[in-house]
Amino acid sequence: MKLSASERTGQILIIVLLSLLCVSVLYPFLYMLAISLNVGSDAANGGVYLWPRKFTLYNFEVVLGNAVIQHAYLITILRTMIGTIAGLLVTLLAAFGLSYRGLPLRGTLLGYVLITMLFSGGLIPFYIQLYNLSLVNTFWVYVIPSAFSAWNMFVMLKFLQGIPDALIESAELDGAGPLRVLVSVVVPLSQPMLAALGLFVAVMHWNDWFAGAFFVSDQNLIPVQTFLQHLLSAQDISTVLGSNNNIESLARGSMLENITLMSIKMATVMISAIPILCVYPFLQRYFVKGVLIGSVKG
Amino acid sequence: MLAKVVKYRWQYLMIAPAVVLLFLFSYIPMAGIQVAFKDFHIGLTIWNSPWVEFENFSFLQDDQFWVVVRNTLWIALLKFVFGFPAPILLALLINEVRHSGFKRFVQSVSYLPHFFSWIVVAYILQSMLTLDGGLVNQFITNLGGQPIFFLGSTEWFRPMIVVSGLWKEVGWNTILYLAAITTIDPQLYEAARVEGAGRLAQMRHITFPGILPTVSIVLILSMPSLIAVGMDQIYPLMNPAIQPVADVLDTYILRNGLQQGYFGTATAIGLLSSAISLLLVLFTNRISRQLNGEGLW
Repeated sequence: MKLSASERTGQILIIVLLSLLCVSVLYPFLYMLAISLNVGSDAANGGVYLWPRKFTLYNFEVVLGNAVIQHAYLITILRTMIGTIAGLLVTLLAAFGLSYRGLPLRGTLLGYVLITMLFSGGLIPFYIQLYNLSLVNTFWVYVIPSAFSAWNMFVMLKFLQGIPDALIESAELDGAGPLRVLVSVVVPLSQPMLAALGLFVAVMHWNDWFAGAFFVSDQNLIPVQTFLQHLLSAQDISTVLGSNNNIESLARGSMLENITLMSIKMATVMISAIPILCVYPFLQRYFVKGVLIGSVKG
Repeated sequence: MLAKVVKYRWQYLMIAPAVVLLFLFSYIPMAGIQVAFKDFHIGLTIWNSPWVEFENFSFLQDDQFWVVVRNTLWIALLKFVFGFPAPILLALLINEVRHSGFKRFVQSVSYLPHFFSWIVVAYILQSMLTLDGGLVNQFITNLGGQPIFFLGSTEWFRPMIVVSGLWKEVGWNTILYLAAITTIDPQLYEAARVEGAGRLAQMRHITFPGILPTVSIVLILSMPSLIAVGMDQIYPLMNPAIQPVADVLDTYILRNGLQQGYFGTATAIGLLSSAISLLLVLFTNRISRQLNGEGLW
C-alpha cells in the first residue's frame, strides 16, 4: 500500500518518538555497564558515557568476592527457587480443584478467595500475624505467606476452564483420578500458562526487597535487593566492604585505591539485573500470553 | 451432600493449602484490624490487649498527618493524570507502526523496565541524576546551566516520581490495550477509508472507542493502587531533604508502626486508607457501569 506524504511524515514522527523511548530504556543500562567495567577512580573524572575507557573486571571481582554479597545472592537464589515452586504448586492445585463445576461449596470458596483481593488488614496486622507465627526473622517469611496468590489463581482458573471437558472426561473414563488427570492431562496442556505465572512469581521473589528490609533483621537472611537498598544510601565504601572478610583479598591488589563507591554500586546492580536480562528474551512470548489470559472478561 | 463431598475429597485436599494460607495471612490480619482500637504492644496478644476506643485516631489532630495526606493525594493525582493516559497513547502510537520488526522491538524494549525492582530503578536515577558526574547535570552544565540536585530537592521530587513511574510501567501497561486493538473488526477501518477518513480520524473514531471497555476495566483495577502510592517506589528514594514532600501514608505507617512500634496508630491509618481505596473501587465501578454499561461486576 502506498503511503501519502502526510502519512509518511506521520510514520517518521512515530518512529522517532518510539526510538527515543527505546534509547531512554536501554541507555541507562549501557551507561551503568560502562561505569562498572571502568576503573573506578578514572570513571570518577567523568566522560565515560557508553564504553569503558580504562577497562577492568576489578569491580566485579570485588563484588563477587565479597562474602556478604555472596550470601545475599545465595538467599535470593534459594528463595526464588523454593518460592516459585511453592507458589506455582499451591496456586495450581487450588485452581485445578476449583475448576470442577460440580464441587459442593464451589461458589463459597471462590468468594472466600475474591474477598482477599478487595480488602486486606494492612501492613501492621499482617506483620503482627507473621510475628505470632514466629515467621519474623526466618527464611520462610519469604516463601510461605506468598505461596498462594489469589490473582494468579484466577488467571490459572480461567485458563483451565478453556481446556475442553472431553479431554478430562476421556481420561476419567480410563479410570484416572483427579491427581492423575492433573499430572497427565492438565499440566502438559498448561505449560505456557505455568511458564508465564512461574516467571511472574520468580521475578517477584528476585526483586523483593521489602520483606528482607522489614520482616528480617538477621543480616544473614537479607536478599540481594535488600542489600542493594542498604547500599543505595551508603556514603562511603567501608559500609559496603568493611564488615566482612573481604578486606585481605582487597588489600592484595594495589587496585584498592582505584575502586569507588559508585563503581562498586554499579557492578552490584549489574549483577542483580543480568539474570533477568538473560531469561527475558526466552520467556517474553509467555508472559504476554499470561497477561492476556488474566484480562479476558467473563 | 456428604456423599458428594466424599466424591470430591481429592479436590478439597488440593484446595486446602490455599484456604489455610488465606486464612492465616489474609483473614486473621483482617480480624487484626481491631488493633486500631486497642493498646497493643509486641508481647501482648491482639485479644487480651485493652480497648482504647478512638485513642489511636488522635493522629487526625496531628498536623504532620495532614501533610502526609496532602502528599499522598498530590502524588496519586499526578501519577493518575500522567500515568493513566500514557499507555493508551503509546499503544495507539505502536499500533500505527507499519514495520512489524520495529514494532516488536519497541514492545520488547518498553516492557523491560517492568522486570526490574524499584531499587534498581532508584540506582538508575541516582547514576543519571547525581550532582557530581550525573549525566543529566553534565548535559545541563555543558549547555551553560546550573546543575540541579534532582534527588534532594523538594520541587523536583514529584516530577521525578511521575517520570520514573512512567518510564518503568508505561510499556507494560500497553499490553492490554494493544491486545484490545487487535480484536477490532478490520472492516470498520475499511469502511472509514472509503468514507475518506484519514489515520487520525480512524484513530479517534474507531480505535479509541474500540478499546474503551478495556480502558474502563483498567481504570477500575488501578483504583486500589492509587492511594497505595509509594512504598516500593518512594521509600528507596526517601531522604531527609525531600521528606516534607515525599512522606506518604505508606511510609508514614511504616515509620510509626514497624520502626517506632506505634502499632495501634499505624493500623488505624492503614484502616482509613484501605477503606478509602475500597470506596474508590466501588465508586469507579458504578460510574463505569453508568457510562458504558461495563463494570467489574
